Amino acid sequence: MSNPTLTPTATIPQTAGIAAATAVVPKQQRRTGGGWRWKVRVTPYLFLLPYVLTTLVFFLYPLLHATVLAFFQTSGPGRRVFVGTENFTFVLADPDFRKALFNTCLFAVASIAVQLPLSLGLAMLLNAKHGRMKAFFRLAIFAPNLVGQVFVGILFAMLFTPRYGLFNRFLHELIGWGLEMRWLGDPALVMPAVVIASLWLYVGFNMIYFLAALQNVDQSLVEAARIDGADPWDIFLNVTLPSIAPVVTFVVVTSTIGSFQLFELPYTLLQGFGPNNSGLTVVGYLYNYAFDSGDLGTAAAVGWLLTFVILMVSLAQIRLSRKVSDD
Amino acid sequence: MGFPYGTAPLVILLIAIVSGAAAMLSEATSPRADGRPDLIFATFSKEHAAAYQPAVERFELEHGVDVQLQVVSQRALQGRLQSSMQVGADVPDMVELLDGTLGVFAKGPVEDVGFVDLTEHVHREGLYDRLVTSRFGKWSSRGHIFALPHDVHSVMLAYRRDLVEDLGIDVSMLTTWDEFCRVGREVVTKDLTGDGVPDRYMIDLPADGGDALRLLMLQRGGAMFDEAGNVAFDNPAAVDVIDWYVRRVAGEDRISFPAGWGQNLAKAMTDGLVLFYICPDWRLKQFESDVPSLAGKMALMPVPAWEPGARRTTTWGGTGLAITKQCGNPDLAWKLAMHLYYDPAQLGERFAQTLILPPLKQAWTEPQIDAPSPVFSGMRVGRAYADLATQVPEEQSSAYMTLAVAKLSEAYNNALAHFQAGGEANLHEVARNELKSAAGRVRTVMERNRFLRDGAEIPVAAAAGTAKGVR
Amino acid sequence: MNTPNELQWTLIVLAAAFVALLLVSRRWATNYARTVVLIGVGTVMLLPFAWLVCAAFKDAAVLNDYTFLPPVDKISNKTVNLKNFETLLGEKQTVQGPVNFWRYVANSLFLASAGTFISLVFSSMGGYALAKYRFAGRGPLITFMLASMTIPGVVLLAPNFEIIWRLGWMDTYKALLVPGCVSAFGIFLFRQAIIGVPNDLIEAGRIDGCSEFRIYMTLIMPLVRPMTGAFCLISFLGAWNAFLGPNIFLQSQQKLTLPVVLNQYIGEYSQQYGVFLAGTLLAIIPPAVLFLSLQREFIGGLTSGAVKQ
Repeated sequence: MSNPTLTPTATIPQTAGIAAATAVVPKQQRRTGGGWRWKVRVTPYLFLLPYVLTTLVFFLYPLLHATVLAFFQTSGPGRRVFVGTENFTFVLADPDFRKALFNTCLFAVASIAVQLPLSLGLAMLLNAKHGRMKAFFRLAIFAPNLVGQVFVGILFAMLFTPRYGLFNRFLHELIGWGLEMRWLGDPALVMPAVVIASLWLYVGFNMIYFLAALQNVDQSLVEAARIDGADPWDIFLNVTLPSIAPVVTFVVVTSTIGSFQLFELPYTLLQGFGPNNSGLTVVGYLYNYAFDSGDLGTAAAVGWLLTFVILMVSLAQIRLSRKVSDD
Repeated sequence: MGFPYGTAPLVILLIAIVSGAAAMLSEATSPRADGRPDLIFATFSKEHAAAYQPAVERFELEHGVDVQLQVVSQRALQGRLQSSMQVGADVPDMVELLDGTLGVFAKGPVEDVGFVDLTEHVHREGLYDRLVTSRFGKWSSRGHIFALPHDVHSVMLAYRRDLVEDLGIDVSMLTTWDEFCRVGREVVTKDLTGDGVPDRYMIDLPADGGDALRLLMLQRGGAMFDEAGNVAFDNPAAVDVIDWYVRRVAGEDRISFPAGWGQNLAKAMTDGLVLFYICPDWRLKQFESDVPSLAGKMALMPVPAWEPGARRTTTWGGTGLAITKQCGNPDLAWKLAMHLYYDPAQLGERFAQTLILPPLKQAWTEPQIDAPSPVFSGMRVGRAYADLATQVPEEQSSAYMTLAVAKLSEAYNNALAHFQAGGEANLHEVARNELKSAAGRVRTVMERNRFLRDGAEIPVAAAAGTAKGVR
Repeated sequence: MNTPNELQWTLIVLAAAFVALLLVSRRWATNYARTVVLIGVGTVMLLPFAWLVCAAFKDAAVLNDYTFLPPVDKISNKTVNLKNFETLLGEKQTVQGPVNFWRYVANSLFLASAGTFISLVFSSMGGYALAKYRFAGRGPLITFMLASMTIPGVVLLAPNFEIIWRLGWMDTYKALLVPGCVSAFGIFLFRQAIIGVPNDLIEAGRIDGCSEFRIYMTLIMPLVRPMTGAFCLISFLGAWNAFLGPNIFLQSQQKLTLPVVLNQYIGEYSQQYGVFLAGTLLAIIPPAVLFLSLQREFIGGLTSGAVKQ
């Protein structure tokens, strides 16, 4: 919302940011006179002023405000009652919230366990190709990213129609099964349907990262391993994987953060949250509370809970990847 | 020297300027500039608007006022009304609300509901007795009537008369659901093409329960909420309906197929994949226009009863007319409402156009109600629906209707899953327990709402001074 | 299973060819398999697009009769036509008077492009400051920015709603453009790119008497074009497809954006899927054009940030 660039797949290379935190002191500071020195000193603040201002007003203040709001029950922005920690206790005990959390975690796990290996696999297949063919397939596989979650939701709602939907027909032709599967009507199939749609949407994006990383793998190491008689799987495990490890960590962390913010795709795909709330996500739960029932307080509480979960998971992932690369 | 950021940003900047200018231009030249009409009336239905048009013109002449009739997408209208109630946006003077949406606007204190309380007007005008009384429940919250009922929406079953006759079924024998299901099994198991796949299903029932579950429960005497606004859907009727429904959708007694909506529905109808369709009066017009090829091949019958001699109908959906609190001239709005909704002289013609039966009992003597329908094999459809209208069960509105419907569906789906996993024996008990816990959830959420509590002190936001800014 | 259908036959033949090749040369077989899998995946990725295009031009009456287009002998004005587009683009009555679909297109274009341009300027300025200046508070700021990126935007949704309301910005584009005018993410992208620019260049600029702003504008920015392209694309896509923000902060029908409006249309045109498929098709065109023209920069710029350690 407030930050249009924070789409699930587009987040900062964090590991890269920390690593490159050594900047250069302009030599002028030592060499030149007072006027320049002053200018050079003030300029960075001026350049960062827009960021600092918007962050204060639309990030830090709301963040503090969310903390206060989380202890109130509200009816729209106009009315509020102090309720203490009731919002937290209610939400944590609410089976719908647990379901939302479960669905969200399920989606995050599926994204990482299914989507990322596929992205990497495709990147490796593509890496062996050259010229036009490579460019064409790269474009074809990336193309779904041009379609936003809302549009993908609209499109796939129709592709998943029992009997007539393209996906159902395709499955039927391919394996003779699934013509009448109610992907969006059967609670057990809703999350798989969301995962399939998001797979189509995002597999190409992470592939681009992997592709770039693979291009930087030292080919002489690969050759050397091959001459030593290592089989392709060994080469992948011992040469390729270690050298793309930082990018893998980056992609895993950003995908996790993105996955935890899933909302628009299931919301438009299911035109709501699906049978039995089977497509309800944490953000969907938050949206429902804040803007459908007007209770901004509960929404703020849910927001804090979500932040806590994301922080824990990303910290665990970063720590885990450090451990792996230290070994 | 080129643009420092490169060509792409330059193009983007140009697009921003051009599109921004275009949007501003269209804003400036929009016809909204020339004065607000005396009344703005918004509805979500094209059909309604078309039917109201002549009546509105007459009203304008009679009172010398300017009324603007708008057709607006239901979602846009609801979103607009919701945000107006939260942050004070400009809204129409009169709006038609879709069934179930009143609750959305009645989550806060009664005085925060953005519609004019019509209770006194209704009683003064004697409407409470002149209309089908059960229709007011949908449009009331905590004893206050906030909208006027537009319809009765009694329900019948529409069916493919030609195919049903070919199969040798006599619909006049289908008086109970038991008999209907028995015949249904014969239909489903009759494999016409010999490929092992059923060619005809007896009835269209959404596999996820959808609205069908609720309206069957209403027919059986159950309700989502009682008159005091308490959760009531864990009643014995609901248990029985879930037990029944699950077996019609899955397992060896299955007789139904989920035909869905729109083009999928039209295809199932023309293919004859499904024979019977739950059909409130508002669906007649849709059937007429969506599957014109079936004209003369369709017919209607009353809904089979749960017990011999019991209620042969139920109700599905509804529209209500509300006057918003922002309305500058509520008296004029009330007059227009009376003129549009309850002037018997117009309602016959209106019925001919929309095929929706008005709730005003007087209007049922109009000749158009008895007109034979070419689509439904010459049946007098208006009379058929009117005959059932007084049997229509009452449904209460609630701020938590959406949640309750979702939870009912959840209970049903859990029962279905249990059944499909082989738990046929104790299905009834499982359904009862599921309903109980589902209703319990709704109660917990409702009890939490401080703004709904009777006599509770309702403080305005702490920072009231600043909060008034936009209102 | 009964006798294989065409699709299954194709797969069987392809698999047989693989086995046959395997007998001849392992290398050929791997190469062959790679190509076949890529073609398969490429097809699966593009099929929904093909379906979308066909469905948008099919008449409502035959939408479900054919998976893609009707066979050549059945193609006529009755089966394939522009009706969906005509319905979509016609003027429509709303609570605030009639609105033409092009207005939503203009709104979306404006919000996405203005938002992209503004955040390009501010983010690159911030990125330059962080990359090439040493100043008090720089370290804590970087740490803060990194930390801020792990907090999901939706957490701020509820309090921001209140702030926007108190500011009186409800139903204005300010509510979307101002909070999004610069992002930590964008600043980091540019910082990564600008760090690689040699310092001598900046020094030379200063000696020539260029102002600090001029150095940024004329010396730095032209050198980080790939990142500019990547940033523009990501930013544009994000804003173009944004749903939650516009859906919450915009209220007037004539100010809404394409995702919000098309989502509204689902209810309204539930009988005519073709209409919002036509809308979806139109909505894909601008980002597609942008992507095709920025493809190179995008891939180069984006990956340089992530890959460089």
